[in-house]
Amino acid sequence: MIVLGIDTATQQVGCALGGVEGPLASFHSARGRRHAETLVPAIDFTCRTARVDLSEVSVVAVDVGPGLFTGLRVGIATAKSLAQALRVPVIGMSSLDLLAHQVRHSPRLIVPVIDARRGEVFSALYRHVPGGLQRLTDYRVGTAGELANDLLARREEALLVGDGALRYSAVLADDSGFIEIGGVGAQWPSACDLVELAHPRALREEFVQSSELEPMYLRKADAEMNWAKREKA
Amino acid sequence: MSAEPARLLGIETSCDETAAAVVTESGEVLSSVVSSQIDLHARFGGVVPEIASRAHVELLTPVVAEALLQAGMAGPEVAGVAVTVGPGLIGSLLVGVSHAKALALVWGVPFIGVNHLEGHLYAALLEEPDLELPAVVLLVSGGHTLLILMEGHGRYRLLGQTIDDAAGEAFDKVARFLGLGYPGGPAIDSAAMEGDASAIPFPRGLKDQGYDFSFSGLKTSVINYVTKNPEVETVDVAASFQEAVVDVLVTKSRRAARETGARAICLAGGVAANSLLRERTLDACIADGLSAYLPSRSMCTDNAAMIAAAGWWRLRSDGATPLDAGADPNLRLTLI
Ligand SMILES: [Zn+2]
Repeated sequence: MIVLGIDTATQQVGCALGGVEGPLASFHSARGRRHAETLVPAIDFTCRTARVDLSEVSVVAVDVGPGLFTGLRVGIATAKSLAQALRVPVIGMSSLDLLAHQVRHSPRLIVPVIDARRGEVFSALYRHVPGGLQRLTDYRVGTAGELANDLLARREEALLVGDGALRYSAVLADDSGFIEIGGVGAQWPSACDLVELAHPRALREEFVQSSELEPMYLRKADAEMNWAKREKA
Repeated sequence: MSAEPARLLGIETSCDETAAAVVTESGEVLSSVVSSQIDLHARFGGVVPEIASRAHVELLTPVVAEALLQAGMAGPEVAGVAVTVGPGLIGSLLVGVSHAKALALVWGVPFIGVNHLEGHLYAALLEEPDLELPAVVLLVSGGHTLLILMEGHGRYRLLGQTIDDAAGEAFDKVARFLGLGYPGGPAIDSAAMEGDASAIPFPRGLKDQGYDFSFSGLKTSVINYVTKNPEVETVDVAASFQEAVVDVLVTKSRRAARETGARAICLAGGVAANSLLRERTLDACIADGLSAYLPSRSMCTDNAAMIAAAGWWRLRSDGATPLDAGADPNLRLTLI
């Protein structure tokens, strides 16, 4: 069973193909946020490199966010459309789960942090458990300061990864020595991890039809926020 | 080989309509599905880009499936996938572009990027394949007000355009001010039916100068007039406002046809659904011995059949668009 993975939730565009033997080929580019221009040619390239015909793909897995809305939608629209044309199901996976997966062997609290712009970050807390990761909180959006306060209150060693952790390292790191910020190598979700994590799910038929796949925005459109404020006032 | 005529799938997501259609090479519309988001945006009094983009993601897969189903197709047999690449809302455009590219990749057929404005010009050709050229096209919508001389396929001369608000924008703003609701075009059209169009002599900006348009002064006069005369009948204001807009649009189109030697006047865009504009254009064409092309209302507003029709022309003239092309929110019409 071959899985095609697509990830456009951050500044990076990524795709990978793989199966039971792990990823067969992948493409990642973090340059210039040209998601719509890059993604479909990248999928074509990855298929050719892996010598896999698209018709051999059994499931399309996609990062559903949270992340930057416009890029996120490019990946989700592409995944839905591919699944529709190939007549295969889809698997949605969170960008934060993917980021946490990269450092899953750490004994510390694992905190993926994605830049949400406007001074906010998307984050969640995880802990290593036998066989994988356990998510301890909801997926959430808030200021870096709010996340820093939450971590401070826990007084526990934590490893923060993601572009949000790097951008707000000055706010998130403290003098206590409890907080470590991961390097640039772990700042984006990986499409290879996506394929690896989606494959067993696909075998267990834990997928949905393309029409049921929804992005995880975590934030309402501005107009709706303003509307809600006005209604309250 | 099948004896079926070649067919293009068209996709349109540039603003607040999620649309897909199947059109044959000879211009027969086999299906045209439009899912309007008007209800989602109505409470905000205008299109909210982020809400539009979210709705496109949700609606496009079922809309494309429905268009293929109605055309009696499974998909892989299309000859290409045409999609609007601009102008429009960038987030919305990217949903359609991403969707179209993926379909083209799986089916191994050309991906064809289409200019939304050229799509509107092809709406008339779909219903009137024998359109007499050159024709003056008045393209009026919520985002655009263009007066174009169409000399042939892909041969356009820009005669004039709005220097401030688009005609449809003026309708929306005045309708909102008068409390007639959203979208403003149909609201003013129906209110005007009950009113006296000669009640208030609103100004006709730039009516006798060149081919450019200006509607912001008119909008301001409506607001000033109603503020000074609060007892005025709303239907009279709507009728007088509509009269002023249509007077300017028709006078300029007619003069353009005369001065360029065009043989026809053609309406395009959402405002072309306005009943007074259609009536006056027809009257003018009869008086001047010109052909009048008034696309059906569903062909005036945004749809994907017009995108597929323009896509056929672009495929024949330019071939496929590379899969690494993007969308351009400010895309202009290529002029001669
Ligand atoms: Zn339009």
